[in-house]
Amino acid sequence: MSDAPVLLEMRSITKEFPGVKALADVNLVVRAGEIHAICGENGAGKSTLMKVLSGVHPHGSYDGRIVYRGAETRFADIRASEGAGIVIIHQELALVPDMSITENIFLGNEPRRRGAIDWRLANRRAVELMARVGLHEDPDTLVKDIGVGKQQLVEIAKAFAKDVRLLILDEPTAALNEADSRHLLDLLRGFRSRGVTSIMISHKLNEIEAIADRITILRDGRTVETLDVRADGVDEDRIVRGMVGRELGSRFPDRTPRIGEVFFEVRDWTVRHPISAERRVCRNESFVVRRGEIVGFAGLMGAGRTELAMSVFGRSYGVYESGTIVKDGRQIVLRSVADAIAHRLAYVSEDRKAIGLNLLDDIKASTVAAKLAKVTRRGVLDAVAEHRAAESYRRELRIKAPTVDEGVSRLSGGNQQKVVLAKWMFTDPDLLILDEPTRGIDVGAKYEIYGVIQRLADQGRGVVVISSELPELIGLCDRIYTVCEGAITGEIAREHADPETLMKRMTSTKRTQPR
Amino acid sequence: MSRAKDLRKNLFGGTTSNARQFGMIFTLVAIVVLFQILTDGLTLRSDNLIALFQQNSYILILAIGMLMVIVAGHIDLSVGSVAAFAGILVAKSMSDWSLPWPAAVAFGLLIGAAIGAWQGFWVAYVGVPAFIVTLAGMLLFRGGNQFIGNADTIPVPEGFRVIGAGFLPEVGPNTGYNNLTLLLGLAACAAVAWREVRARRTRREMAADPTPTWISILRLAVMVGAIVFASLRFASGRVGTSFPVSGIILVALVLAYSFYTRNTAGGRHIYAVGGNSRAAELSGVKLRRVNFLVMTNMSVLAALAGMIFVARSAASGPQDGNGWELDAIAAVFIGGAAVSGGIGTISGSIVGGLVMAVLNNGLQLLGVGTDRVQIIKGLVLLLAVALDVYNKRQGRFSVIGGLTRSLRRDTPTPAAPEAQRAPAVTKVPG
Amino acid sequence: MRNFLGKSVAVGVIAALALTACGSGREEEPGGSDGNAKGFAANALIGVALPAKTSENWVLAGDLFTNGLTEAGFASDVQYAGASTTVADQQAQITAMITKGAKVIVIGATDAAQLSTQVAAAHQAGAKVIAYDRLITNTPDLDYYVAFDNFKVGQLQGRALLDGLKARKPNGPYHIELFSGSPDDNNAGVFFNGAMDVLKPEIDKGTVVVASKQTDVKQTAIQGWKAEGAQARMDQLLTSTYGNRELDGVLSPNDTLARAIITSVKGAGKKIPVVTGQDSEVESVRSIMAGEQYMTINKDTRNLVRQTIAMVKALQAGQTPEVNDTKSYDNGSKVVDTYLLPPVAVTKANAAEAYADDPKLAPLTR
Repeated sequence: MSDAPVLLEMRSITKEFPGVKALADVNLVVRAGEIHAICGENGAGKSTLMKVLSGVHPHGSYDGRIVYRGAETRFADIRASEGAGIVIIHQELALVPDMSITENIFLGNEPRRRGAIDWRLANRRAVELMARVGLHEDPDTLVKDIGVGKQQLVEIAKAFAKDVRLLILDEPTAALNEADSRHLLDLLRGFRSRGVTSIMISHKLNEIEAIADRITILRDGRTVETLDVRADGVDEDRIVRGMVGRELGSRFPDRTPRIGEVFFEVRDWTVRHPISAERRVCRNESFVVRRGEIVGFAGLMGAGRTELAMSVFGRSYGVYESGTIVKDGRQIVLRSVADAIAHRLAYVSEDRKAIGLNLLDDIKASTVAAKLAKVTRRGVLDAVAEHRAAESYRRELRIKAPTVDEGVSRLSGGNQQKVVLAKWMFTDPDLLILDEPTRGIDVGAKYEIYGVIQRLADQGRGVVVISSELPELIGLCDRIYTVCEGAITGEIAREHADPETLMKRMTSTKRTQPR
Repeated sequence: MSRAKDLRKNLFGGTTSNARQFGMIFTLVAIVVLFQILTDGLTLRSDNLIALFQQNSYILILAIGMLMVIVAGHIDLSVGSVAAFAGILVAKSMSDWSLPWPAAVAFGLLIGAAIGAWQGFWVAYVGVPAFIVTLAGMLLFRGGNQFIGNADTIPVPEGFRVIGAGFLPEVGPNTGYNNLTLLLGLAACAAVAWREVRARRTRREMAADPTPTWISILRLAVMVGAIVFASLRFASGRVGTSFPVSGIILVALVLAYSFYTRNTAGGRHIYAVGGNSRAAELSGVKLRRVNFLVMTNMSVLAALAGMIFVARSAASGPQDGNGWELDAIAAVFIGGAAVSGGIGTISGSIVGGLVMAVLNNGLQLLGVGTDRVQIIKGLVLLLAVALDVYNKRQGRFSVIGGLTRSLRRDTPTPAAPEAQRAPAVTKVPG
Repeated sequence: MRNFLGKSVAVGVIAALALTACGSGREEEPGGSDGNAKGFAANALIGVALPAKTSENWVLAGDLFTNGLTEAGFASDVQYAGASTTVADQQAQITAMITKGAKVIVIGATDAAQLSTQVAAAHQAGAKVIAYDRLITNTPDLDYYVAFDNFKVGQLQGRALLDGLKARKPNGPYHIELFSGSPDDNNAGVFFNGAMDVLKPEIDKGTVVVASKQTDVKQTAIQGWKAEGAQARMDQLLTSTYGNRELDGVLSPNDTLARAIITSVKGAGKKIPVVTGQDSEVESVRSIMAGEQYMTINKDTRNLVRQTIAMVKALQAGQTPEVNDTKSYDNGSKVVDTYLLPPVAVTKANAAEAYADDPKLAPLTR
């Protein structure tokens, strides 16, 4: 493998944005037929490097040279790079939900005959392409009607429709469940055996370790090293060391839990689906949280964990049907998010950008957004109080920004997540529900967020962590509920929690699925 | 820190939105100066300034409401029709039911609130897009105006005309100026000075690096200078004229709404809803209430604008309000609001509206016909927003950037300051 | 802080003083000195504010004013209102003219009742205001009114309609429909009343029948004199009333509407009725010569503009302009001194004679 010919070489790439040097003298060598992983913390320059490669940042806007298939290239735009067979698949899928699979595969690349689109040919080719990526669906199915895992496959089929030679995948498994992820990784292996070269950006180090031939690690816009996975005996810890520049002792800080009484209880919770009246998001579910306890909710994507949590949090999802919430021995009724906040509940949402933050705001406005009353004096916002509050959280959570006047859109994912945490810590909650708190966050920030979660629990609050990463739940939680299809299927104490047990419970009531 | 850098940071604004606003004010001043030269000094003459405010106060009042609507992520196309509808009812209430004019004004505001509640209901509680609701409202209330007025013109009594065509009375000793206008100017100077002092105190309490004293003084001097100049101009018009009553209503509304949008939770909620409605909802913002209030408020202001126009025209007519929505929307967008919501300021919209107003007035003074005026205004709107979009894509503000670069000459390299680099560096504790 | 405050106050005071020095005292204008007008400079600015360019007439009038005033040695500023924001535009234009120091402002009002504030301001600034073609209402500050005798226009239209009907079909009853102009235009009602002055007796006798029964001015009005409004109304009338009935005649207040009405009738595949008009627009004269539109009124804009400019010249010289009606035109606040010009009815029969010295229309009549 190591003596395979070089397909792509990026030499001394330097890219500057006003005020920031995003890439400094980065080198990348990709050999034909390999899977090459690019690792680095958020903000290390991975995406920028790929944008330079694919012509999003056109030739001339960066320094350095790109040699592809033996010749220097100067892509002016993304069409030029696609013409050369370099296709990039972004984390946010570029599909039109209301178009069919075929239409999506050939979007912008439609097979034509005498000016009109030849749909027969398109459908036939779509079926071929879908077979190559292991997708078995009617090509006329609308993309919105298939799961996110299959959508990812449509994206890849779309790439093949363009005669891809070099496939670039940005966080391809971030939104996929375990089964879909496995399928995708198998697919990549299959491509490798057929000679397609792939570049993969991922935070999931276990996947990289399992699939990559070589790994290039970036840190702060510079190349740190390129590792040969087999020859160098690379494992996760080795990658982490490269990414953060040193070893992480333990990924979970030490903690001795001090668990108190049950203070929060959900009983016989039944919620109707917001659109179809027959479906129940959950039916007669009950769970409890104790003071000082970190409770995990383990479940595959789409298992209904988020829906359950949000329905408890002021009925912000679905239609409430029956059930009671008891907090500190008294029954409470939460009709709205405002009610929930008033009863000192907090919900840190799964999707920061879509529903967690107003990206137009700065850090200080975001920090106080869920409890403006706390910085309001006689109806008027107190700018000084707001600034002080935000500043204290910036220090406490080590949010990396020069001042709290910085716009949250300019922060990295990890720091954005810290701002969301600050926003909810500011409401001084008794019960904090964290939905996928570390998704898409780099290793260093993850570690810090674990520390924050533990501190919150140690202050006597109840913390609920929803996650699909089992090691995270096992490392962090005192007790774990497993959820499957809206039902709580198990309750496992920390000492009994291991991935196999959890996975079994997470899939236990699963009805037989088509294929 | 060098002085030039201080100036850049404090006067032109460290943040992008401040820079945007400075750009607009700069444009406004440039246009004023341009026309002042082209019209041989007519533009800044007392009578013209007074007329300018009288002619545009109602559009600027609409712009206030429209800004809030647009920030919340909606649009209101019905304002012109609502203004006309309220105007004709108010005129009728005085001519047919002989309502005294203050009661008629209250009646007009009530009509506005009722219409606003109607539109707000559909937008907030039923979830019909505001574009559709207000498009319907545009037809509905235009038709209502013609139905009630029989497409006729209804005159309004003298007392009522004060809110549109009135001036401050002449009181006190003969100083050669309108005394009340001078007093207003003095009050404004005091307010500006007080604000600057408070801003300095606030910055100190935040433990931020304080604004250098000379900058505060320079800023204060510029503002006080502008106020003194304006109040002398307004006070020295023909006897019987002064700062117009409609202008006072406008200024009062601008101050009140600026304060509301900037310094209260309610105002913050409007920005939150426009910036990311789902996130706002999950932060406990009552989405429906915000949308409802924003739409209601817009119609109340539209009714007020309609009444002011009727008062100024001395009669309510079937053409009232035609095309106002476009002027108000243009003002808001020229003033830097984002089409997708969440961004924009009252002061920006007012400046945007004034840019259009001065342009209109200056071209008219030059004798340019309405056909060409419309073409020019259309191009200005397009260019202003295009420049904004372009600058955003470049990640910097080229007009301002160009200005400040020349001021920065004494700081040799424009290399990234440490502060900006910080987020990229990752440190791990422990 | 004290230091800072002190400095700022000092700066403020200096700035204030500096500005006070340049802002001089205010002009104490006596306000439109009445009685013996003193006249003004022979090259003074004369403002002309006209409605939106919706008919040829206004465009022509604008050109004539520009040329005529320039020829007479005045500086002229002729402005049209915008197409949609008419009233506000005109208000702003008049104000701008006042600011520029116009000595006489000629106004063809877009809305007769909504200009009193501006007319008052003009008066206070010492400018004379002449209402051109449309009377401005509710203002005591209007000085003169120049127009064609519009009641007479209506009478001529009514007369011609009856003549045309008789010429086609010796005996009634004739089925006709009535149209009137924009309700915000003071003249619209005057035209209509003039026409009804002639038609009413025949309607009462039953020789002329308004089949739709829409005889009230409010029912017949076309907002804004818009052609599409007239066409839409005619379309509706044809569907509702003339499914199996012949339409013999239509009273139309002007040419633009007349042509729209004819278009509608043609579209419905009906025989073109006797349609009246007004303004002698080029298209309508063509239509008359082609035997479609029956008549129009020749209110020679040239004469009206000539008369207006004559008044301006008189004012310039400090004389009282000639008027021929000081009783009929009450605008709600005062009876306005008026000069009325006589209109002429034109049909195919007398077109050549009527337009003989009109360079644009004369060729069409040959």
